[in-house]
Amino acid sequence: MAFGVSSPTDQQVSQAEFTLRVNGEEYAVRVDTRATLLDVLRDRLGLTGTKKGCDQGACGACTVHVDGKRVLSCLTLAAQCQDRRVTTIEGVGDGASPHPLQSAFLQHDGFQCGYCTPGQIMSALALLNEGRAGSADEIREYMSGNICRCGAYQNIVSAIQQVAGDRGAAL
Amino acid sequence: MTTLSGPQLLGAARDRVEGPLKVAGRAPYPNDLSYPGMLHAVAVGSTIGAGRISGIDASAAESAPGVISVLTHLNAGPLRRAPVTPLGVSPPAPLQDDVIHHYGQHVAVVVAQTFEEATEAATLVHVSYTHEEAILDLDDPRAERRTNPWGRDAQRGDVAQGLAAADIVVDRTYLTRDNTNNPMGPLTTVARWEDGVLLINNSTQWATLEHTSVAAAFDLPLEAVNISAPYVGGGFGAGLRVWPHVVLTALASRTTGRPVKLVLTRPQMFTACGHRPKGKQRLLLGATSDGMLTAIDHEALTATAMDDDNFEPTATVSAAAYACPNASTRDQQARLNIPVPNSMRGPGAATGNYALECAVDELAVELGMDPLELRLRNDATTHPQLGLPWSSRAMRECLLHGAELFGWSRRTPEARSMRDGDMLVGYGLAAVGYPWFRARCAARATVRQDGTAYVCSAGTEIGNGAYTVFVQLSAELLGLDVERVTFGLGDSSMPAAPQTGGSGLTSSVGSAVHEACRRLVGDVLALVAEDPDSPLYGCSPEDVEVGEGGLRRRGDPTRWESYAGILGRGGLSELTATGESTPAKPQELGMAPAGAFGAKYVEVQVDPDLGRLRVARAVSVIDGGRILNEKMAESQIIGGTVGGIGMGLLEEAVSDAGTGRVANATLGDYIVPVNADVPDMQVAFVGVPDPANPIGTKGIGEIGLVGIAPAIANAVYHATGRRIRSLPITLDMLL
Repeated sequence: MAFGVSSPTDQQVSQAEFTLRVNGEEYAVRVDTRATLLDVLRDRLGLTGTKKGCDQGACGACTVHVDGKRVLSCLTLAAQCQDRRVTTIEGVGDGASPHPLQSAFLQHDGFQCGYCTPGQIMSALALLNEGRAGSADEIREYMSGNICRCGAYQNIVSAIQQVAGDRGAAL
Repeated sequence: MTTLSGPQLLGAARDRVEGPLKVAGRAPYPNDLSYPGMLHAVAVGSTIGAGRISGIDASAAESAPGVISVLTHLNAGPLRRAPVTPLGVSPPAPLQDDVIHHYGQHVAVVVAQTFEEATEAATLVHVSYTHEEAILDLDDPRAERRTNPWGRDAQRGDVAQGLAAADIVVDRTYLTRDNTNNPMGPLTTVARWEDGVLLINNSTQWATLEHTSVAAAFDLPLEAVNISAPYVGGGFGAGLRVWPHVVLTALASRTTGRPVKLVLTRPQMFTACGHRPKGKQRLLLGATSDGMLTAIDHEALTATAMDDDNFEPTATVSAAAYACPNASTRDQQARLNIPVPNSMRGPGAATGNYALECAVDELAVELGMDPLELRLRNDATTHPQLGLPWSSRAMRECLLHGAELFGWSRRTPEARSMRDGDMLVGYGLAAVGYPWFRARCAARATVRQDGTAYVCSAGTEIGNGAYTVFVQLSAELLGLDVERVTFGLGDSSMPAAPQTGGSGLTSSVGSAVHEACRRLVGDVLALVAEDPDSPLYGCSPEDVEVGEGGLRRRGDPTRWESYAGILGRGGLSELTATGESTPAKPQELGMAPAGAFGAKYVEVQVDPDLGRLRVARAVSVIDGGRILNEKMAESQIIGGTVGGIGMGLLEEAVSDAGTGRVANATLGDYIVPVNADVPDMQVAFVGVPDPANPIGTKGIGEIGLVGIAPAIANAVYHATGRRIRSLPITLDMLL
């Protein structure tokens, strides 16, 4: 990673140059060091599936995976993500067909306006991988970092339970 | 989910037609959009509650990296205030003078190359003020009072006589706090001018209003403005007004000559796009010892901003709620130095119903009567204020079916008499009659030679399921498979539609779609009715019905011809018809058009040592007339229920004394329900298709929320014996 010179006298903004790996693609970027992963994904890479809900780490709408773990991309500086594997909603499913969890959200109506949905799905995928979808109460607890103001929670839980059940049956 | 009625009441529970886009993150919300050369704008808010700007030093901001422009009242130039809307005055035009009416009022807008640069430079705008004392309290004697602000105060009989004739009178006062809409999608405007036309992508629930208002603000002809809002990240009322930031973004674009995007920050969402204003209500109920109401007296005081008349008819809900010969409802507003309030899901109704339904519960306790029985005895079988029969009313079925689903008969009447392990258990009930609303609306329907159809109206999808139910309705009215129908929403170039608000969109747009499709079918038939080669030769509109992608003679399905065939033979690629529908007045209808009715049953569990309080179960039974899509409708009700839990237990915007600054203006500090706060909720629909409009719907966008908070408050009383007369009810009140 290369950083530009920052000098308070000439008010030059510090820039970072590095490679971001998102959904298996490599992007060479030069960005303001203050830029969050969220803003770089949305404003620079055009990956607007990840949503800005609060920009304060309080709502979960911006949830993405970094090295397989869920993080809040609004609280993560883009420059921290060099050499790390970023997955966003655009990387879920195989392009032609949706991921079973996306289908389950659709079938169970686990969203209304849809704005928080990419974050909910990224959280739910991580939750399933973490083995934290064992019961409805467990899902509720571990999905509580993702606010849905439309109030689709009950259907979100049903969707996750369906996929967790299908995975369990497949084992 | 269960239902009492047949398939004609409940439409197919289809998945959301736009759902695949939403689960893939591909639905374009306004803040997802970018245009070449686009700049980013960040608004700067005042840091005082009342006074004047004595000076602005924008030099540091203007010379900060990337900054293109800093707009203040000193250089913004004149803007017109948009005209009065059906919901009252428009918010004041921004940056027109040095007067500060509330903390957080936009005093400058910084426009820069990037969001980071604009955010940084916004902190460098130095504003100095002359302070005045802010008026912030509802009871402040200096606050101007507006009486009967919306002309909806109601009076019948003689309340004093009714109270004198009562065996029992309850006289109670209830307080509600500032709640904020806070949809997950921050309100966003992206504005650009192309060839003299102002093009706006916006988070709005009312593209048609936005269109006329923005045109007025910039003194432009209507054809020089377009509003586009195909996807909006929720609203709950926040998108019902043309906020100052919309105008400011368009101004910034005009000033810089480039596209500009402005996204309200989450803290700004607490001050720049409305809230449910705090209020104080007094209820007097009189009843005979056998539980017949003799008087209802309801007065409400809510807050509004200094230069606003926010539509919040609160006491009004009591006028038509119960069959009581004597009733008086009176609303007042107090002008305060607060941000402009606005409708929030169930405006007026949610707060008015809260006070009324708590008071009814208190009356039941005084009477020693089951609160369900008290409500049944006073059921308003005709509209008590208009004296007309309701277009439909299944309030009784809501109450009785809800009691059965919930297991109300297991309730023991005494407070603190039920337990689940160590937890105190309480059962609470509220009844709801939601005010009817429908407005004039237009729609346009097109069938094409390939056998598909496109129907549109300028209403908006905000998560309400509008795309889906209107596709289903259009398919039914044209006799097409739903896969062959596309519905367009959210663009001001489409036929004019009212707001996604007041629970009126489905009936308004649906009635217009009904008319557009009826005309289109007539126009298609006219192409072949005089053609001897057509199986429909000689048919009049009354002779035909739609089906299988075309028209057929009633009673003779072999005499059928497809739209594709008819258009093809006529050499037409498509055929279009426009329809408009205006609701009739009650006296013309000979009946009182009914909004939705509902019964809300809630179980709470309270830890007797810690005061910890949870909603354990909620059952909602709704008479929403015809339900176009059972899945969408159930989601509306459970979503509303979640909002009601927020209102009842969690949500309160706390303001600093002196300035009115919202001290908890983040989603971490203003507590909204999260997944773990929400129990399993059961929803059922009862009733019949409503005859007041051609499609039989009522409107259910708000009734899901209304009644939950009083049902919770009543359940808390039943669990603990503590009657809390303010919202939200928090654990410290139960210790």
